Amino acid sequence: MRLTVDGKQMEIDADPEMPLLWALRDLAGILGPKFGCGIAACGACTVLIDGSPVRSCVLPVGGVEGDVVTIEGLSRDGALSAVQQAWLDEQVAQCGYCQAGQIMSATALLDEIDNPTDEDIDNAMAGNLCRCGTYPKIRAAIKRAAALKLARA
Amino acid sequence: MRRAILLTIAATLFAAAALAQEVAPVAPETVPQAETTLVDPTVGLAEWQTIHDVFAHPRCANCHVDDDHPRWSGAHYGETRFHAFNVQRGADGSGFGNPGMRCMTCHFESNSNVLHGPPGAPSWHLAPVEMAWFGKSSAEICAQIKDPERNGGRTLSEVAEHVRDDALVAWGWAPGPGRNPAPGSAEETFAAIERWSAAGAPCPID
Repeated sequence: MRLTVDGKQMEIDADPEMPLLWALRDLAGILGPKFGCGIAACGACTVLIDGSPVRSCVLPVGGVEGDVVTIEGLSRDGALSAVQQAWLDEQVAQCGYCQAGQIMSATALLDEIDNPTDEDIDNAMAGNLCRCGTYPKIRAAIKRAAALKLARA
Repeated sequence: MRRAILLTIAATLFAAAALAQEVAPVAPETVPQAETTLVDPTVGLAEWQTIHDVFAHPRCANCHVDDDHPRWSGAHYGETRFHAFNVQRGADGSGFGNPGMRCMTCHFESNSNVLHGPPGAPSWHLAPVEMAWFGKSSAEICAQIKDPERNGGRTLSEVAEHVRDDALVAWGWAPGPGRNPAPGSAEETFAAIERWSAAGAPCPID
């Protein structure tokens, strides 16, 4: 089957029931999205499809309709996205395992809400777990990213 | 718009029929959808019980909530609880979740085949808040189902068709591994609603 991932078209030879995450990591070699729970309960595998966040560990690859963007496709011409830059500026990551999924959900949030409140952030991010407890820094980074996006616009 | 037009036509036809028979008008929520003479109310109430067993089943009621939080329930949950991850109806009231975490972030076209994986059906979302009946009594749900203001603007025939034909409703009878399905089937529930309607659509009294 043909997928568009991070702006590139690719041919994937996979059982349609294979989770998208498996196809990305094992067949396409895109290792940014992480396997955490395998049941959409942690958010580490989050990618965007046509801008909407999905948990790729449970989405059958045969059911993918639209352009897939992973953490590896967020930067443009070597420039980090506003969310990625804010993550660095706030030094969010500790172990870092969940952060790709966190950044993808935050990206989806900021695509819909320019200046999210704490409640908006909690509503968007509660499905992305962080065992290191970086939640206060995640919140700060999302607010920084919102300001950075506005400054870049 | 089409539904509104159909309802208007239906209301007009009903009003004309009522006038022809010199029947005093009655409140919309008590208007029977079919001939009501010479019917045994116990038959209709038995049909309602079958329908109620479906509507009040957790596979249906857990997403017909009025407080914006879908519910989780099942033997391994203990008591019924809020859906994890702060999942909500959505600030826009749509029932599809909030920006950054929509229902369809996890719930796709079909069930995950992994135990505790997310169930799936087309257009996964909460029922509109006016159609909430989680925690209500049988009498309350029965009155609600007959009230177009609180049943999605449907006649009883349209309620029956919704139950028979809607893909998300159908999920209640095929909820995936580890979940108890609603009793009966979509077709059986459709038929029960039709029979209940034909029997005058009686409601129990609390």
